[in-house]
Amino acid sequence: MIKQYDIAILGGGPGGYVTAIRSAQLGFKTVVIDKENLGGICLNWGCIPTKSLLRNADIYDTIKNHSEDFGITVKGVEFDFNKVIKRSRDISDKITKNVELLVKKNKVDRIRGFGKLISKNQISVFDNTGKETDVIEASKIIIATGARPRILPNIPVDHNMIITSTEAMNLKDQPKELIVIGGGAIGIEFAYFYSVFGTKVTIIEMMDQILPVEDKEVADLLAKSFKKRGIEIFTSTVVEKAEVKGKKVIVTINQNGEKKELKADKVLSAIGVTGNIEGFGLEELGIEIFKNHIKVDRNSYETNVPGIYAIGDVNGPPWLAHVASAEGLYCIEKIKGLHVTPLEYDNIPGCTYCQPQVASIGLTEQKAKEKGYEVKIGKFPFMASGKAFAVGEREGFVKIIFDAKYGEILGAHIIGAEATELIGELGIAKSLEATYESIVKTVHAHPTLSESIMEAAAQAYGEAIHI
Amino acid sequence: MKIEIPMPKMGESVMEGTIVKWYKKPGDSVKKDETLFEISTDKVDTEVPSPADGIVTELLFPEGDTVDVGKTVAYLETDSTAASIAKSTPAKVKEEKVVEIEESENMVVQTESVKPVEVSDSLIDIPMPKMGESVMDGTIIKWYKKIGDTVKKDETIFEISTDKVDTEVPSPSEGILVEILVGEQVTVEVGTICGRLSVHGAAHAAPKIESEKIPEYKDDSMHSMIAKSVDEASEVKSNESSKFYSPLVLNIARAEKVGFDELEKISGTGTSGRVTKNDILNYISKRNKGEVTVSKTDIKEEVFSTEVKSTIVYSAPKKDFDSSYVSGGVERIPMDNIRQRIMKHMINSRDTSVHVTALMEVDMTRIYNYIQKNKDSFSRKEGIKLTYMSFVAHASVRALKEFPIVNSTVEGTTILQKRFINLGIAVALEPNGLIVPNIKNAQDKNLLGIARGIVDVAERSRTKKLTPDDISGGTFTITNYGVFGTLFGTPIINQPEVAILGVGAVVKKPVVVEVDGMDTIAIKPIMYLTLAHDHRLVDGMVGGRFLKSIKDTLEKFDEKTLN
Repeated sequence: MIKQYDIAILGGGPGGYVTAIRSAQLGFKTVVIDKENLGGICLNWGCIPTKSLLRNADIYDTIKNHSEDFGITVKGVEFDFNKVIKRSRDISDKITKNVELLVKKNKVDRIRGFGKLISKNQISVFDNTGKETDVIEASKIIIATGARPRILPNIPVDHNMIITSTEAMNLKDQPKELIVIGGGAIGIEFAYFYSVFGTKVTIIEMMDQILPVEDKEVADLLAKSFKKRGIEIFTSTVVEKAEVKGKKVIVTINQNGEKKELKADKVLSAIGVTGNIEGFGLEELGIEIFKNHIKVDRNSYETNVPGIYAIGDVNGPPWLAHVASAEGLYCIEKIKGLHVTPLEYDNIPGCTYCQPQVASIGLTEQKAKEKGYEVKIGKFPFMASGKAFAVGEREGFVKIIFDAKYGEILGAHIIGAEATELIGELGIAKSLEATYESIVKTVHAHPTLSESIMEAAAQAYGEAIHI
Repeated sequence: MKIEIPMPKMGESVMEGTIVKWYKKPGDSVKKDETLFEISTDKVDTEVPSPADGIVTELLFPEGDTVDVGKTVAYLETDSTAASIAKSTPAKVKEEKVVEIEESENMVVQTESVKPVEVSDSLIDIPMPKMGESVMDGTIIKWYKKIGDTVKKDETIFEISTDKVDTEVPSPSEGILVEILVGEQVTVEVGTICGRLSVHGAAHAAPKIESEKIPEYKDDSMHSMIAKSVDEASEVKSNESSKFYSPLVLNIARAEKVGFDELEKISGTGTSGRVTKNDILNYISKRNKGEVTVSKTDIKEEVFSTEVKSTIVYSAPKKDFDSSYVSGGVERIPMDNIRQRIMKHMINSRDTSVHVTALMEVDMTRIYNYIQKNKDSFSRKEGIKLTYMSFVAHASVRALKEFPIVNSTVEGTTILQKRFINLGIAVALEPNGLIVPNIKNAQDKNLLGIARGIVDVAERSRTKKLTPDDISGGTFTITNYGVFGTLFGTPIINQPEVAILGVGAVVKKPVVVEVDGMDTIAIKPIMYLTLAHDHRLVDGMVGGRFLKSIKDTLEKFDEKTLN
């Protein structure tokens, strides 16, 4: 029997399940289809499990390397790698179960299986034996199938020696040596994690800096900090090939024409992601694809086929869980006919959870100048912050880039402790179109790290007090 | 002084009249209100009285000629010595030049001695006159003259419509209209040159009117006090509106000199309709490309409103009537200025005030009897009709003195309580219109004074003789729909006032009265009064007591107390 719905959502990640709940709240009869646990990459193989791992790393690093700073003597510090991994998996399991409950509580139907579009308003659902279990008819279909790690032929992932992030967070044995190909957020976080637990880590980045989307000053400071930890970094370096030879992987790199061979137990390929667009009927329906992602109208997220929408990673960058959720909410509210404001893609924060943490919003200094802005830059080092001193986290700074003409906050960049939490303030400031005055005249609690944001803004206009 | 006698306007649709008979010839003296000539129009035949004492100096049209309304048909000289000189050598008349826009005491009339002008043709600019402190522009409704026409001094040269009032603009001098620079239905700023006159000879030369010398109405209403000049208004202040503008938007507005008035007009795409950076940048780029015309005078709406501003939709979304009424069963009638203003006014009031309406029944026996008894003698003695309206208005003034909160305006969170009472009288205009002139300082007037005031403003409303001053600065309004037989209504408050009194028809009704402790049915003339009051300021208690005060005054009317 065909099940009738107002809204059917393919994929239950942070785009899909959030949209499904909102859809039900708005009074739509809603179904969400996913063959895995709800929560998608984010909860199962991304954001949450990796942040769990990184927390282990932070604590271990503090105890092992900094306890003396606090007058605490700890002897015989050891760790159990399997328990470290297990903690992360347990958290993931619990949180995805909670999401299942949340979805159920909101009266969203949840179908476990692989959904395939058979017409512009029908989906067949198959179980893992390939048997059709359900047919669904819905007035609107929202595709939220996400993305997966991108794989290049010269780096043949075998999920054993040459791995992706999915395997990297669930290894049985800790590698002694790890080569991370790709210096983006994912590569950087794993590099930090394994390095803290004693793995010899090498990062290879094609661009001229690690974290290529971040401000150069930030990336430079992070590189310096990583090098101090013993992480080796090659920038402007291309990986020609990676080959498994016996118990090692040989990676051939080319840095400005200089070839070199690196060896490691494991190689992590973290060279970005690609949309999950295959095998569920997109081609048959003629849904337009652009660079391995579904092409959508950014004001509605509708595809070229009316009534079919695509949100989140599957429609292209930025590949971030919070963007997927925001797009999904916008999409469903727009379908409902509510007045919604399109997403400002310049106002979306990006975070990297290594130590020191990196968080940013808007344009980098370089991008702002490229765009022709005359900029005013305010910078405040945590070195000058009383709170940072007190908690022993003096590395890093806050950097805010203002448009000299109108005082707009063009971008903000934080590297240091709790940077990923601190960026929220600047997110509000930027989306409400605050200017430096709004930040400076907002009384910030003392002592906090957030005072550094106020000081950085003031510094741009020569009004900083503590530097 | 030379007075021109125009063809009078006998009704909205009457555009011309035929001179049937001249009762006077040149050289004849004539008394004020004495019949000068008789006309016939397609609606009515009537005699036209002289506006003043004087001597007829010139008749411009013979009997039988049909003349456009407003066009001068004769001249009258009020100064008998001048009259004789004028007849012989008009070019030598030495007189003080008086630039007058319209006869009004409230006008600052510029009186200047003119330096002798060389006898040669010179051009005089005719600017859009300033019709009040806050009136920044005017629309030319009609040119009464075309290029090449001869115009007399003070003859109507064009008719304008402004935000406040419609009026005719007289020629500043005698001459020939040589240029029309602003066409009909075009709105221009005050001071804009609308046309040029070619004037021959020194005696006719009027001082060239500089824009800063534009005769100006002195407007002491509350409105003008809060009126901002354009320059002030263009300094962006967020507290002038309840709309939120982000610091960035305000910065951009300041840097790009986007006035507050313009900012208000930008439709925001942000959360809750907020104007975002992109909205204002788009606006600026459009403006720079000339796709948006920036009229500095667009502040007129904003200037008046002390109230919460909301997005006002003046009409329902446009439907595609064209396709659904293909047979031509629907006529499309463009709204005239007055109708558009009424529409905006009403919506503004609805969106501003919290209307509540209270109703009381008033026993009009005493006043009814008094009017029946005195109407003839009154009208003989005073020249006006004795009406219920005068009694109601008089009683209202008393009540307003007793409850001054009803005589107030809301400005943000401040109450502006007026010590003066400018009593608004709603006057219906044929065929379809409404205007509310007010009787100034009604607190100082007795019943007769108020009765005269009502007749005066009503008359001038219907003859388009109101000045902007007449319709601004009102503090309380009375609307008398009783004349149409309506028993009671729920009127809409005339902003920025806080209450309006609705007067129903006086109708005889059976009512229960107590006579010697016994209830009995009596027939009495009964009138319903409704008070629509703004609950933001006037609560039920004050509203009720206010109405009760009027009711008591009317019911206990005693002619002995009348003065």
